[in-house]
Amino acid sequence: MHITEGILPPQWVFTWFAVSTPFVGVGIYQVKRKKKTVPGYLPLAGMLGAAVFVFSCFPIPVIALNGMATSHPCGTGMSAVLLGPFVSVFIAAIALLIQALFLAHGGLTTLGGNVFSMGILGSFSGYFAFKTAQRCGLSLFWCGFLAGVISDLFTYFGTSLELGLLVIHKGGSFFRAVAEIFGMFMMTSQGVLCIVEGIVVGFVLVFIYKRRPGILLSLGIIKDDTKPIQI
Amino acid sequence: MGFLHHTFSEVYARRNNWLTRVDIRVKLLYIISLLSINVLAKNISVPLFFLFTSFVLILSIKVPFPVMIRNLLLPMSLAIFILLMKGLHEGERVWMSFSFIGYKVALKEEGLWSGIHICSKVLGGVSLVMLLSFTTTIRQLCTGLKWFRIPNTVIELLSFMYRYIFLFLDEVATIWIAQKSRLGHASWKKMIQSFGILGGMLIIRAFERSERTCEAMQVRGYKGDGILMLNLSPWRKREYFFTTGILLLVPLLVYAGTIPVW
Repeated sequence: MHITEGILPPQWVFTWFAVSTPFVGVGIYQVKRKKKTVPGYLPLAGMLGAAVFVFSCFPIPVIALNGMATSHPCGTGMSAVLLGPFVSVFIAAIALLIQALFLAHGGLTTLGGNVFSMGILGSFSGYFAFKTAQRCGLSLFWCGFLAGVISDLFTYFGTSLELGLLVIHKGGSFFRAVAEIFGMFMMTSQGVLCIVEGIVVGFVLVFIYKRRPGILLSLGIIKDDTKPIQI
Repeated sequence: MGFLHHTFSEVYARRNNWLTRVDIRVKLLYIISLLSINVLAKNISVPLFFLFTSFVLILSIKVPFPVMIRNLLLPMSLAIFILLMKGLHEGERVWMSFSFIGYKVALKEEGLWSGIHICSKVLGGVSLVMLLSFTTTIRQLCTGLKWFRIPNTVIELLSFMYRYIFLFLDEVATIWIAQKSRLGHASWKKMIQSFGILGGMLIIRAFERSERTCEAMQVRGYKGDGILMLNLSPWRKREYFFTTGILLLVPLLVYAGTIPVW
């Protein structure tokens, strides 16, 4: 889902940086404020960010290709659930910078665009899906599942939108291009992957709840660990 | 995931050679300027010049050629995808058309040329980023970012995340092997369950480690303020020489990028 270095023309490079910067700025401000009041917040955000980064590197076999190829989860849904949407955008920006520099996934001039699709759309959609599912009284597994699936779908949509916009001024059909790119993502590895990521995020939350419910309580994911919740 | 450990271990950036000895501020100035020129370039000559120069420089510090090609594979696959999308949607003059599962596919000339232009920019841009990553450690990068007035919180979190990626990769590898050897990956369903347990364990260990690290930091006097200890050395003649070089090079390359030649 990373848009590679050099793909975006100058006007879109600036536009996506302008769109993403305020969200990353709020994330930085939140971390800065919290680390002053809670000294352990910076190591916590750093470690959870690193853990989510490693989680996003899990090679999940693509069933459609009979396991011959692997894909990897986005992880933004999980980081949004654990750290909140704005801090998750900030973490995603740093993770994307590391990926651009060391893995050649994404790029430096496309960082704004990738932060928009993976960080902003992925984090906010995942976070709101989780909160809405919680309010509807769904079990912890299904809340995590929805956060994983919805954040992935919004990330794919964001990337399709950014790529579709490349043909808008050149006589191309924008809506057709977006639909085709999104369709191609879903038909190849990503359609199945978003469901797999949803299941894995669900399992992760249930596993943490069974083993160390205090973690979910201290991160504000559940309200009271003395009262058993539906898993 | 073994290759990730190798990738993040800065194996090439930690070597002592003429490119790793160049000051990080100069390197960042060069890479930012050249990436901007690459994005603005209206022909394929300038991006291909960047590709060629970067490859020569990277090869001069003895980075194996297959490593460079492996790094280029993923960006190139996306660039080819864009080439096809542009060929399908941009322009009017049909270059080639055929039928594919009942869907008429027509590749247009203007779109394909524009796609080739993008492919050259991808190659140029990725090679420049590779040049930076093969010659710069994360610590040097943090020092450079501090000089460019990037907020301390960003640099602190970047260094924290990077430091612990190694540890978590090791822990994941250990659990992964244990799960595999106990038939945790025997079926697809079991594999997904194992991924869930692995992810959950990763988060639990990250949380526990953050508590221990915080205690260790507090013992050393940490109260939630800055943790950075990065020293910037004063500029020497060499840095002034390189900076003058980029100041002279930028207008030349900007002009070269606007010339309508292939």
